[in-house]
Amino acid sequence: MKGDMYLAWSTDEQIRSKGASGGAVTALLKFALERKIVDAVLAVRKRDGNRYDGVVSLISNPDEVITCAGTLHVAPVNVAKEIREYLNGAQDLKVAVTCKPCDCRAIIELAKRRQINTENLLLIGLNCTGTLMPGVARRMISEAYQVNPEDVVGEELDSKKLVITLADGSKKERDLKELEEQGYGRRENCRRCAFNIPRMADLACGKWGTKGQQATFIEVCSEKGSNLMEEALEAGALHAEPPDQEALKEREQEDQEAVELAQTWQEKDLDVLRWLPYEDRLQYWLRYLDRCIKCFGCRDVCPICYCQDCYLEPSRDLVQAGETPPHIMFPLIRLAHVADSCVNCGQCQDVCPMEIPLTRLYQMVNRELTGVFDYVPGMDIADDPPLTTITEEEAHIENVDAFKSDAASR
Amino acid sequence: MTSIEHVPTICPYCGCGCGIYLVVKDGELVGMEPWKGHPVCEGKNCQKGRNAHACSTSDQRLVRPLVKRDGVFAETSWDAALSVIADKLGSTASDEVGFINSAKCTNEDLYVIQKFVRVVKKTNNMDNASRFCHSTSVPALLSTVGSGVMPTSTISIEQADCIFVAGPNLQETYPIIARRIIRAKRKGAKVIVADPRRTITARNLADLYLQIYPATDNALVNGMMKLILDEGLEDKGFIEERTKGFEDLKSYLQSLDLREIERITEIPLDVIKEAALMYGKAEKACILYNAGIAQHGAGIENIRALVDLALMTGNYGRPGTGVNPLRGHANGEGFGDMGPLPVFYPGFQKVNEETARRFEDLWGVKDLPSTPGMTYMDMVGKCRVLYIVGANPMSAAPDTTSVRQALKSKDFLVVQDIFMTETAKMADIVLPAATSVEKDGTMTGVDRRVQRLYKAVAPPGDARPDWDIFCELGKRMGFEAAFGFQSPADIFEEIRKCVPQYKGITYERLKNPSGIQWPCPTEDHPGTEVMFVGKFPTADGLAQFQVAEYTPPLEVPDEEYPYIFTNGRVIFHFHSGTMTRRTGRLNNELPHGFAEINPEDAQALSIQDGDQVRLTSRRGTIETVARVTEDIRKGLIFVPWHFSECAPNVLTGPCAGPPSKMPEFKFCAVKVEKVS
Repeated sequence: MKGDMYLAWSTDEQIRSKGASGGAVTALLKFALERKIVDAVLAVRKRDGNRYDGVVSLISNPDEVITCAGTLHVAPVNVAKEIREYLNGAQDLKVAVTCKPCDCRAIIELAKRRQINTENLLLIGLNCTGTLMPGVARRMISEAYQVNPEDVVGEELDSKKLVITLADGSKKERDLKELEEQGYGRRENCRRCAFNIPRMADLACGKWGTKGQQATFIEVCSEKGSNLMEEALEAGALHAEPPDQEALKEREQEDQEAVELAQTWQEKDLDVLRWLPYEDRLQYWLRYLDRCIKCFGCRDVCPICYCQDCYLEPSRDLVQAGETPPHIMFPLIRLAHVADSCVNCGQCQDVCPMEIPLTRLYQMVNRELTGVFDYVPGMDIADDPPLTTITEEEAHIENVDAFKSDAASR
Repeated sequence: MTSIEHVPTICPYCGCGCGIYLVVKDGELVGMEPWKGHPVCEGKNCQKGRNAHACSTSDQRLVRPLVKRDGVFAETSWDAALSVIADKLGSTASDEVGFINSAKCTNEDLYVIQKFVRVVKKTNNMDNASRFCHSTSVPALLSTVGSGVMPTSTISIEQADCIFVAGPNLQETYPIIARRIIRAKRKGAKVIVADPRRTITARNLADLYLQIYPATDNALVNGMMKLILDEGLEDKGFIEERTKGFEDLKSYLQSLDLREIERITEIPLDVIKEAALMYGKAEKACILYNAGIAQHGAGIENIRALVDLALMTGNYGRPGTGVNPLRGHANGEGFGDMGPLPVFYPGFQKVNEETARRFEDLWGVKDLPSTPGMTYMDMVGKCRVLYIVGANPMSAAPDTTSVRQALKSKDFLVVQDIFMTETAKMADIVLPAATSVEKDGTMTGVDRRVQRLYKAVAPPGDARPDWDIFCELGKRMGFEAAFGFQSPADIFEEIRKCVPQYKGITYERLKNPSGIQWPCPTEDHPGTEVMFVGKFPTADGLAQFQVAEYTPPLEVPDEEYPYIFTNGRVIFHFHSGTMTRRTGRLNNELPHGFAEINPEDAQALSIQDGDQVRLTSRRGTIETVARVTEDIRKGLIFVPWHFSECAPNVLTGPCAGPPSKMPEFKFCAVKVEKVS
C-alpha cells in the first residue's frame, strides 16, 4: 500500500549485473510487459551504445527492456513531451514510463490539461540529483578527470561528488562543488532543483538508503504502484526486504543534503536578482532577451505548452511577425503562460541557441508564485494551476468578476 | 504495435552542420527532437533547423517525372523520362551540354553526378552555386595560404579572444556559430563587426561596430594593418618563419594615406585604430567572412587583405584563429571536395592530362576530359542542353531577365528537384528527387566535418535520390560497370579511394556523432581540427603575403542610379526560398520581401514605412515594401533574396573577370521610387 518501502533487487542474474542497484527497475518494467499490465515501456536507451546520446525508446518486447538497464546521467531527454507528441498522450496505449521527478511533474501538469491520460501510465520514478548536458560532460571528463569520455561506463552522482567508472572497473571521483564552480557538472536548472525523490510517481526508486547494497530503495506512492510491487514480488520477479531504520535515515539525510545544495544554488542564482535595483533588473533580462532569434525552441520543447493555436504564432497577430529579436511580448507571454506551472525541467534552456538563461527567469517567477498561491506544480492532478483557474472564494470577491455583464459588454 | 524511432541527421540548411533527431512513428516523419549529444549544436537549433523536416512532407513535393507537352506538364514514367534524357544527352556534342549541381545534394550524389558527366559525356562542363559564393575565395586563399578551406573548427571559435566578423550577419545566417561567439565573449573575447547594416549581430555581439561604406573592406583592412605595423604589433617570428613577401606588403602599406582610407571607408580613423589594436593585441584572433566580402568585383583583394592581416599577426595554425570562409550550404565544403566543378576532379585535383589519366585508371574508363569546363553562367548562356540538379538559377544567378531568356532558348532543359521551382517551370523534363531525410549519405559542412545522414523515411511517390537517378542514366548510356553502385555506402568506398582527404573515413567511423574533419589520411587518424599547423599547403610550405589594392566596385552610383543596392539573407528563410517558403512556420513569419531604407533617404523620397517602392537598375526593376530603419546606412538599399517576386538578382549584374568571374551581387547602382 501507499507508503510501503522496500529494498528490492531482481531475481534475474543478467538483469542484476546490467542494471543499476540490483536491477529492480528493469525487473519491474519487464514484469509489467510480460504480465501485459502495460502495452509498452518508455525508457531511455543509449543510442548506438553511446552513453552521451540517450534517446527515449518505446519497447514492447520484454526481452528488450534490458537494453535500457543502468543509469544515465547525461541524457536530459524530454519524456513528457514525447508522450504527448508522439504517443498521443497515452490516450490509447498503456505505458510504463521511467521518469525523473521533473518528467513526472511535467506529465502531471499535462494530465491537468487533459493532454496525457495518466490512467494509462505507470510512472516508475527515479531519484535524481541532476543531469548533465552531453557536451559539458565530455569536456568535464576529458579536462577535469583527464579521461577519454569514450572510456566511461558509468556515473554516480550525489550532492557531494561525481564518480565515474571506467571500462576497466576503476573509479575516479571529483568534488561536485568544485566541478560546478569551474563550469562543469549539472545543468543549471538541476542545480537549483529540490525535487530529488519522485513521490508524485507511482513508485519512487533510487539508491539512497541501500547502504551500498546491490538493491534499489523503493517507496510506494500510489495504489497502482502498490499493485505492481505486490504482483512482482508474488511472481518472484523481485526479491525485497524492508529497509531498517538506518536505511531510512540514510535516505532522509541524502535527500536533505541535496535539498540544501539546491537552496544554495537558488540563493546564488535567483536571490541576487532580487537585490538588484529595478532598472538593473530589467536591463539584466533585456541584455539576454535582445539576443532572441525567435526560433520557438523554448516553446516547442516546453512540456507544459500544448496549445494547438499558440498566441505567439504570427497568425495570432499579437507579436509582430518576422522580427528578430521579437517584441518583448514574446518572452513575456511565454512567461505568463507557464510561470505558475513550470516544473523547472530545463528543456527550454537546453535548446536555446542564444544561451538565454530561461530557467532562471521561469524558476524565479515560479518561486514567487508558489509563495503567493501556495501551489507547487506537478505534484497532484487534483491541484489546478492558479493562474488559469478561479477558486470559489475568488469568484465572490467584489468588483473583480470579469464575467459581470457590464464588463463583458465593454 | 506503435514504433517510435529517433533517426539522427544533419540539418540541410546552412553549413553549420547541426545535428537533429528526426522522429519517425510507424514509418512516418512526425517531428524533430533536439540532439543534445551532437558536438556542433549541442541540442540547439535555429528555426530552420527546428523545421528542417517540414518541407519534406509538403503536399507540393514533386512525386512523378513530368514531361512538358505543348507548354503543359504531364506525368510520365521514369523509364520514358530517362530514355528521352539518355537520347538527348547521347545525341548532343559534349561541349554543348552543361550540368549545374547543388550543395543540397549529398557527397555521394555529387560524386556520382561528376563521374557521370566526365565518364559518360566526356566534359568538365559542370558547376554549382559555389561559383557565386566563393569563386573569389578559392584564388585568394590558394595564392596566399594554399587552400580554400576553413582552417579552424566552428567549435574552437569559442577559444578566440578577438573575433573579427567581416560582414556576415551571423545571428541570422549562422546562429549556431553566433552562439560560439556569445560563449567566447563570456570568457572575455572582444568582437569587431564590420557591416553597412547595423544587424542583430552588430547590436548583440559587437564590442566595436564599424558601419563601413560598402565594398571598401580591403581599404579598411589595409588601414588596420598599417596601424598594426605602426604600433609594432606584428608577429615577427611568424612572419620570418612561416611567410614570404612581407617586405612588398610593408612598403605598399607605408605608401598608404590613412586619411584617404578614412575618407573611402567613412570610418573615423580613431575607430579604425581601435579595431586594429583590438585585433592586433589578441593572442588568438579569428576572422569570419562570407558573401559580403567575397561577392564583389574586388572580392579576391578583400580576402587577400584579410589573410595578410592574419598572417602578419601570426593568427594561423592554432584553434580559434585563421581567416575562415563560411559556407551557405549544408554540404558547402563537400560540393567542392567531390569535384563537380569545371576545374577540379574529386579531392581538388586540378583538371589536366595527368589528373584525367589518374582517374581513367581509378575508374577503369577511357578518354576522360582534361581541359577545364564551362562555369555556371557560361553554361547558362552557351550550352544547348542543360541538366540542373537542385539549383535555381532563376533566383540565385545574377540578372534574372537574361537568365530567363537563356533558359527559354535551350534545346533541352532537365531539372531535377524536390519542388516545382521557378527554374523547373521552364524545363522540358522535371525529375522528382529525394530530400536529405529520404536517403543515406554524407555531407561536409563549413569546417570540413564529414557527417552521416540516415534515411528516415521513403521518398514520396516515385521520387528517387539523385545518385540513384544518375546511376541508372549511366547504365542506360552504356556504362554499366562504372555505375553499378548499390548504395551510398558503395559510393563512399569509392570516394575514399579518389579523394585523399577522405581516405581514413568510413561509414562505421561516422557513427560517432562528432563526424570526422578532413584531412583524415588513415583509418586510425582522428581527423584534423586545425589546418596549417607548422606549415602551409603551398609548394614551399610558406604562406605568401599579397598586396591587395583598393579598387572601386564595378558599377558605382551616379545621377541616374544614385543608390547602392545590396542583398542578403534573413533568419526565417534560406536562399531562393524553395524550401523555407513551403514551410508554414517559417513562411508565416515573413511571407514577402522588403527593402530596407534609411529614414533620411526615405524622407527625401517621400517614402514611409510600409509603402510600396520600385527599385530599378540598368538591368531590371522590382517592386517591394519599404522598411524604414536607422539600421541601414544612408544611401544603401537592402533586399533579402529569398523572394522570387522581388528578386534582387533582377537588379544585379556586373561580373568580375577571370579567374573568379564573380558577379558583384553585393553592390550595384539603383534608383528608388515610391509606387503611387
